[in-house]
Amino acid sequence: MPVASTGAALRRIGLGGITGNRTALFIALGLMVLLLLVPMVLPGYQTLFRTTLVFVALAYGWNIIGGYTGYVSFGNMVFFGLGTYCAALLSARGVDNLFADVALAVIVNAAFAAIIGFPVLRLKGHYFGIATLGTALAVTDIVGNLDVFGGTGGLALKQVDEAHFSIYYYAAWLVAAGAIAITFLVARSKLGYAFVAIRENEDAAAVLGISATKYKIIAWAISAAIAGAAGAVYARGNGFVDPSIAFAEDFNVYPIVMTILGGTGTVAGPFVGALILSAVNETLGHTFLKLHSLFFGAVIVLVVLLLPRGLVWLIGLRGGMRTWLKSLEQYKA
Amino acid sequence: MHLLAQDLVNGILAGGILAVVALGFSLVWGIMNIINLAHGAFIMLGAYVTWQLFTSFHLDPFLSLPVSFVVLFALGYLIQRHLINWVARAPVLTTFLITFGLSLLIVNVALLIWTGDTRGVTTAYSGSNFTVAGITVPWAKLYTLLAALIITAVLYVWLHRSKTGRAIRATSMDIGAAQLAGVRVTQIFAIVYGLGAGLAGVAGTLISLSYSLNPSMGQPFLIKGFVVCVLGGLGSVEGALVGGLVYGIVEAFASQIDLTIGTQHISGTGLQDAVALVVLLIVLMVRPTGIMGRATA
Amino acid sequence: MILRPTAALGVLALCATLAAPSVPVSAAGDTILFGSAVSLTGSLTKEGHLTQEGYEFWKTYTNAHGGIKVGGKTYKVDIKYYDDESKPASAASLAERLIDQDHVNFILGPYGSGTAFTVAQMVERKKIPMVEGNGAAEKIFSQGFRYTFAVLSPAKRYLEGVLDIGKHQKPAAQTVAITAASDSFSQEVAQGASEWATAHGMKVVYNNKYPDTATDVSSIISAVKATNPDIILNAGHLQDALLVHKGLKEQNVSAKIYGYSVGPDTPDFTNSLGKDANDVLGGAQWSDAVKYHGDAGFYNSAKAYAKAFEDAYHHRPDYHNAESTAACLAFQYAIQAAGSLDTEKVRDALAKLDKTTFFGILKFDSRGINVFKPMVVNQIQNGRLVTVYPPGLAEAKVKYPAPPWGQR
Repeated sequence: MPVASTGAALRRIGLGGITGNRTALFIALGLMVLLLLVPMVLPGYQTLFRTTLVFVALAYGWNIIGGYTGYVSFGNMVFFGLGTYCAALLSARGVDNLFADVALAVIVNAAFAAIIGFPVLRLKGHYFGIATLGTALAVTDIVGNLDVFGGTGGLALKQVDEAHFSIYYYAAWLVAAGAIAITFLVARSKLGYAFVAIRENEDAAAVLGISATKYKIIAWAISAAIAGAAGAVYARGNGFVDPSIAFAEDFNVYPIVMTILGGTGTVAGPFVGALILSAVNETLGHTFLKLHSLFFGAVIVLVVLLLPRGLVWLIGLRGGMRTWLKSLEQYKA
Repeated sequence: MHLLAQDLVNGILAGGILAVVALGFSLVWGIMNIINLAHGAFIMLGAYVTWQLFTSFHLDPFLSLPVSFVVLFALGYLIQRHLINWVARAPVLTTFLITFGLSLLIVNVALLIWTGDTRGVTTAYSGSNFTVAGITVPWAKLYTLLAALIITAVLYVWLHRSKTGRAIRATSMDIGAAQLAGVRVTQIFAIVYGLGAGLAGVAGTLISLSYSLNPSMGQPFLIKGFVVCVLGGLGSVEGALVGGLVYGIVEAFASQIDLTIGTQHISGTGLQDAVALVVLLIVLMVRPTGIMGRATA
Repeated sequence: MILRPTAALGVLALCATLAAPSVPVSAAGDTILFGSAVSLTGSLTKEGHLTQEGYEFWKTYTNAHGGIKVGGKTYKVDIKYYDDESKPASAASLAERLIDQDHVNFILGPYGSGTAFTVAQMVERKKIPMVEGNGAAEKIFSQGFRYTFAVLSPAKRYLEGVLDIGKHQKPAAQTVAITAASDSFSQEVAQGASEWATAHGMKVVYNNKYPDTATDVSSIISAVKATNPDIILNAGHLQDALLVHKGLKEQNVSAKIYGYSVGPDTPDFTNSLGKDANDVLGGAQWSDAVKYHGDAGFYNSAKAYAKAFEDAYHHRPDYHNAESTAACLAFQYAIQAAGSLDTEKVRDALAKLDKTTFFGILKFDSRGINVFKPMVVNQIQNGRLVTVYPPGLAEAKVKYPAPPWGQR
């Protein structure tokens, strides 16, 4: 079915405007530009921001399958982890090129997602989520047990010297920017409409001629490719991978948390969520040496209670206080 | 052969605990559509309640079962009623996030109260065992399995026979219809969440007999709980039991794998998770809603 | 509409928060500033606190006793801490912050091999010396790092002493079963034990690992039981040691020696297991029974250190406290020997260090790890921890064999 009629059909059932919030998007882009200055202006925070950018990329990757397509994946870290090992294995064979790292990570992970997608994407909702978690845990075990991956001892990666080290920062920035760009393009395209249609009502979408299987696999493959690319640049920047680093739970949970905080299924959401979360974490770490974790948990609870629809919703909101107070009532049981 | 039989017994015994862990989690997930990431923290609190009673009053852990249930039920009820209820009907990811925050809060408060020191509950009968047909069975683990079976049975009967239980099941099938029939949904949700927390507390008590305590102890059980729930079928009491036992047995048998391919030594003990999860995937392919799950997911 | 300017303000405030560094305590003043990322929360909280106590104890003593004299000038010492939440990635990022933002002179290591490794990578890039006392994995020292020094003995040594004890009994213990957690530290301990056993004519009848997150190890214990070993070793952490030991009792697996890499030295082990903890052997970096005589300028005997420490912190120091204090001492001696705070000179002085302290000898091999200090072996006898090996440092004879479970 040609694009025009699919889009028109979707608008008839009330879907549209899925690029989300313009204001938030401009703020996000502005901040991305500012982030380019970090290696020069805030060198003591370079590693921190580099890691944040990796999380931003992961959040965007997750948003494609979890936010737009509505298939909540709890195992996307497996693509990140495999991406790190792609870079590590290339390094072990003497290939030390960031482009090669990313290219291999993208190809391997898109393929892996497509292959396991066939059985796993047939599951719905919660079952899909746990199946992805299971896949991630299984792969973690397997990688940790195979000598070719260095076992639990891990693999070291060759890095450039200190003077050129900021190249890893910019690589992470590029991957994050790429993830944002891909999300933006997807959101405005036929792909994006298909994803959202699947999320809102998979059976109706099939009636409209959208092949759910095909689009779900595409969504997951894109998601995986982004996560893999993020892994590859992270590995080079880190200089070392082992199963506990590559498949660390943080890389699984935090991208999801960031996206939800910012607003799922929007273009600016993951970025806003990632930045706010990192900022809060850092500020708390500065202020409270031992209690920061506790306050972090409290902050998250408060944000969810006060902004159940995500932060992006708040930016550029019309109607101020009243709309906000109303939003607090809508999810009460 | 004899080792396999011992493994089977080990697996069943371990599976009992996993079943209790999964029970509360599965109920909350299946009935309220809430992925309660704080479940691990509730397990931990149950274990500490038992430890505190054991250390201060020498109360036997099995006798503290009702105490940890009541304490955690109350806590869960209050948390749901006054916090989570604000977003109870929100998409599952929103509640996922709030329980994530809650989990961090609870674990860190526990860290303040009890410090990071590792604690243990060692009773006079801990470690005592009997041997039959060459298979050694530890008493404490056997009692734990019995407790798990009893709890599952009681819960099943209550859900199917009692008025509140039926109201709960009605709510899980269709909130609108239940409300029309006079069910106070807010109250039901609070009870279910409280029940989930209470069951977590009970799991924590049983776990404290074999596993040492520290504020982060709930985490590995939470992850296994995820898998067991889905393996058995969400929202199903029998499912949690079956899922737990199957998972325990698979993990135990997996440890017998011992192959060498070329120079690569593969030992099942390090691959327990992977094997169990392959089983999960196979089960889900054949029965997409779990071993005992209902078709209405 | 009111929220757009608010949002913008929020964003600016955000940038301001991040850009405003904590006021860097001047390192060029009369204070030597050390930086340390330690695990004050997370899974390694307890050990992180022990590390911090060890550092703080040295700091208090040094400042009370005239500080450190460098090139004719007297300096006080101060330590800036961040919490790495037991996460290696955080530790590295915090080390970078300590160096580039807070301008510390030197880095004191974190707790744990994972965190020590990432911080070692960072200090190597930044060329700032680090001394650590709590990360024994050899992978930290096989990368050719020049700026990281560890005052503790390598991971592979942890259980060798236990095996040596077994070998010297009459009749000698012959068969060994090794269970290990899957993290890299435990794997190295297991590997070291296995290699030593094989090299010295003992037979390794079981050698397997279990996941870090294992909630049940019964199947491993059943398999160990089937091999009927003289010696059962566990390479893991406190949680595993407790799980394994309880499991051995539950399935009635009796051995002549139980040796655990981590566990027996912690009071929690004895508190949790009560009588069942008796006769268990544990490898340790130090105990307060060792008979080293340290140089002047600090407590010169283990007993003196232990007493002063207990007065200050109201608990007996364990080896995590001692090795952390030793790391600080290494810096102190190196700075004094270099006569300057220049990072290259101090690094070179560390590489040449050769001093005896209450902790033992502080000397590093060409890779930066202290292979010169022997591990001790402690045994729990009647609820008390006593040092039983090496013979020159022992305060009591080892109880061998451990009685079978039915007869305790």
